[in-house]
Amino acid sequence: MSRRTKISLTEEELILALRQREKFAAEALYDMYSSSLYGVIVRIVIDTAVAEDVLQESFVKIWQSFSSYSAEKGRLFTWMVNIARNLSIDKIRSKDFKNQSKNQELENNVTFIDEQKNTVYKPELLGIKDLVEKLKPEQKSILDLVYFKGYTHVEAADELGVPLGTIKTRLRMAIQQLRKSFN
Amino acid sequence: MESGILELYVLGEVNPSEKHQVEEMALQHPAIKAELDAIEKSMELYAVFNAIEPSDNLRDKVLNSLVTNLGDDRTFKPRTTHATEKQEAKVIELAQQKSINFYKYAFAACLALLILSVATLFAIYNKLENVNSQLVTMELQTQKFSNRVNLMDHQLHIFRDPSFKIIKLDGTPKSPKSALAVAWSPSKQQVMIDLSRMKLPANDDQHSYQLWALVDGKPIDLGVFNATNDSTGMIQMKSIDRAQAFAVTLEPRGGQPTPTMDNLMLVGKTE
Repeated sequence: MSRRTKISLTEEELILALRQREKFAAEALYDMYSSSLYGVIVRIVIDTAVAEDVLQESFVKIWQSFSSYSAEKGRLFTWMVNIARNLSIDKIRSKDFKNQSKNQELENNVTFIDEQKNTVYKPELLGIKDLVEKLKPEQKSILDLVYFKGYTHVEAADELGVPLGTIKTRLRMAIQQLRKSFN
Repeated sequence: MESGILELYVLGEVNPSEKHQVEEMALQHPAIKAELDAIEKSMELYAVFNAIEPSDNLRDKVLNSLVTNLGDDRTFKPRTTHATEKQEAKVIELAQQKSINFYKYAFAACLALLILSVATLFAIYNKLENVNSQLVTMELQTQKFSNRVNLMDHQLHIFRDPSFKIIKLDGTPKSPKSALAVAWSPSKQQVMIDLSRMKLPANDDQHSYQLWALVDGKPIDLGVFNATNDSTGMIQMKSIDRAQAFAVTLEPRGGQPTPTMDNLMLVGKTE
């Protein structure tokens, strides 16, 4: 399978090019972040066709409202993933979508998707899988609920039947564990 | 810092006042900024770790929707997503209408051209027909003139030829007003009569005039001719090399071996 070489820039170069509305900036943006954003979106909306629509809407919104992004307030991906997650949540809460997918079982979707999809192979992630697996199940579930299913931490507390404070602590612990894994 | 607010901030799980608070603190305390940065990097890597490749054809679709209004984007910063999307849709609609209009006009132009061409072709065809019929008329006329010129050339030739004698035949008492000129060349043995100068009553269908030559007192037949009111030109009669006189009688149609002397109309001596 011959694949296009993906464009890759440093975050600073990309932000500069996006500010100047360069065509190659749009291409680089897509190549660098589409799979990460799609991973989040598809886990929230489940349906791949809907997920691709949401991904497109996300890129359009990112492109068009890029002037409102400020590098001092955080990383580019954090800003983008929040846009993608919000659009995904809007989508699954819309009337049309609710009618469509009434009978879908949401419980095991994350593992289901992971089994069905070829997740992207990245050399820099070699060996990290094991470290991520070290996340305690209760940490992983709260992280995935909030990050990949679009739950608010309040809804997650309801869902798991634990106090809000516990949710916050577990979330923090989960991310601490990730930081250890990735450093 | 220990409360988990920074994690929630990164996850977009804070209300606007909390958000503002975190941003203020990050500006004042580099440590908090560093902590936020570390959390963000972790979440970004976690996303990369869980990344799923969208289908290949989506790339072009997305990029097209981004760069459709790249030119516009450079000039006008979009205010809201909604407004820009509307604008975008409008532009596409106009472009389509433009192309439909273009084909409409192109079709109308072609049709008009076709009609004009057919009309022009028809007019030219008519003209060609006219010219053709004129040409035929001209050719006929030319033929007529050329015939006439030939005839006159022939007559002129006879009148110029010194061997020809012009013998005037005068009317007999039976027809005193009649007259005829006969051109005779004894050396060429040719006899011509000039119909245009002939004065003879027109003969009917049962009769014709007959020319005779008198040689040593005997009449010799030289052929028949008709007299009409509009006779022109010269006609050649039978040849003879010797004659003392010429005479014309009115005979039954086709002529007779011997002349009917009662019907002698013209006579003229050669000497």
